[in-house]
Amino acid sequence: MRVYQFRHIRWRRKCSAVLLRRAYAAGYHRLVSTQPLRDLLEQAFPDATELDVIDRTGGGDHFQVVVTAPSLGGLSLVEQHRRVYEALATPLADGTIHELRIKTKGTP
Amino acid sequence: MSYSDQIKDVIQTSDVALFMKGTPSFVMCGNSDRALQALRRAGAPVTAVDVLPDPQIRQELSAISGWPTIPQVFVKGELVGGADIVEELEQTGELGEKLQAALGEGYSDSREETTVALT
Repeated sequence: MRVYQFRHIRWRRKCSAVLLRRAYAAGYHRLVSTQPLRDLLEQAFPDATELDVIDRTGGGDHFQVVVTAPSLGGLSLVEQHRRVYEALATPLADGTIHELRIKTKGTP
Repeated sequence: MSYSDQIKDVIQTSDVALFMKGTPSFVMCGNSDRALQALRRAGAPVTAVDVLPDPQIRQELSAISGWPTIPQVFVKGELVGGADIVEELEQTGELGEKLQAALGEGYSDSREETTVALT
């Protein structure tokens, strides 16, 4: 009876390890780490026609963000990037974001 | 002179000021390197300031410029941006145009690099 129990546990462990590995390979951990930033950017740029957050290293602290929005139109690149910094002020200040690359475009 | 005064002095008196992690001969961060390389490709006469010796330098710089990250590039006292912007402007050729407009035709003749240490 005991042997069966152990087998059961071992089997379950094996299964969850396989599932975790599959989820990792599919890049779910990257989605998990980028979603909070995506939410903040969507709030700041509700008119965005392109909005993307990429976890560059998979470590959850080096990000590339891409924002294309009409509300960025007519602004200098410095002003456009400032809007992104403002939107992400909290994760920048608390150290969630260790490095940030920004690509912005204002559309007419 | 306080850091703040020295920083303002470098920004206002340099043709091209680059606040970076490390120095041009020993760069300590990939993004600082990206900005430096873009400026070099454009032939900019760079005055570099290392922000690493004291965390206070970084804080006071960001308070002055309103820009949260390092590197920061200024041309004739005006903030041009960080590594992403400088790289983008260099690729489109706008960096060269900006430098020419601000510094004149022969801006790339000297190609000198100066390093300033804040004390």
